[in-house]
Amino acid sequence: MQNVKLRELNRLAALNASRALFKLCGRPVDVRTLSVEVQKLQALAPPIAPEEIAAGIYLPVTGHVTGAVLLIFPKETAFTVCDLLLRRQPGTTRQLSELDKSALKEMGNIVSGNYLAVLSNALHVKIIEHVPNFSLDMFGAILSQIISTFARDAEEALVVEVEFIFKPMKLNGYLLLLFKSEEIDALVKQGTQKGR
Amino acid sequence: MKMGETAVSTNADALTATGIGSCVVITLYDPKSKVGALSHTMLPSHSQGSLHQARDTKYIEVAIEEMLRKMLALGAKQQDIEAKLIGAANMFPEFESDIGKQNVLSAKDKLKKEGIRLVGDCVGGSIGRSVDLDIASGLVTVKMKF
Repeated sequence: MQNVKLRELNRLAALNASRALFKLCGRPVDVRTLSVEVQKLQALAPPIAPEEIAAGIYLPVTGHVTGAVLLIFPKETAFTVCDLLLRRQPGTTRQLSELDKSALKEMGNIVSGNYLAVLSNALHVKIIEHVPNFSLDMFGAILSQIISTFARDAEEALVVEVEFIFKPMKLNGYLLLLFKSEEIDALVKQGTQKGR
Repeated sequence: MKMGETAVSTNADALTATGIGSCVVITLYDPKSKVGALSHTMLPSHSQGSLHQARDTKYIEVAIEEMLRKMLALGAKQQDIEAKLIGAANMFPEFESDIGKQNVLSAKDKLKKEGIRLVGDCVGGSIGRSVDLDIASGLVTVKMKF
């Protein structure tokens, strides 16, 4: 029951995020949820090779749930995403300027904001996302810091993997939402009981 | 080695850890017996966290104890072992994070308690690293991409 409810919430969140990204970049964007599951933090199977350079946008989350949102693009994809967000010819961006980083951070804000708003409304809880932070470096290094921050207080997390399709281009980007699984479980149970 | 993993060897070509951010990779090497160990640790000490698998080598203290135990079983001598530390970066410099620093302090503290010489480190900053420990020579190679 809880998995079904979480999957439905994620479907709604993905739809909201799609609409917001369409407004941001002026072209249709499909946001697809690939998986929603509780995973052991250390066993998180990265979708990108650990030494591959990636752009990571990290937003800490507090409130009634503690967590993190991490939006990741492989470097070349990040360049193309910047072209789309800033309405340049694809292939223009070859290095990330401060404007490009801001655009990526804004995308992180929008996508995570939509996800967290859906969760917050459905579960009737306060979820606060904080200012986005940016890194361009080895994917493994970026992910390891987020996991280590989490691993101080939790061994498992609810992990949502999302894929972005900027039509007609399919660009592999990943959104990882990490929440302490006990907190989400408790909230979903509470939400389910209130709904009866 | 992935996060939280530890390995000890006398005959591998190299022990490797890739994509190190705030984690600390600890290498231990006995140049006389040519026994080496590498641990990809994540957190300082299990007593600081709220969860504890007591022998989880994601914790620095546990990882060092496990490496030493296994190295000594393979013929290493504690007084000959040398340590190096790699990692402990803050990958998001705009975000204040002390995990890396705490990891380094914890590692240095534990090594000192065990009487292990720290002979080199490549820590801090905001760049990710990968590391190889060559078992034949004890040479540690650190790779960064920027």
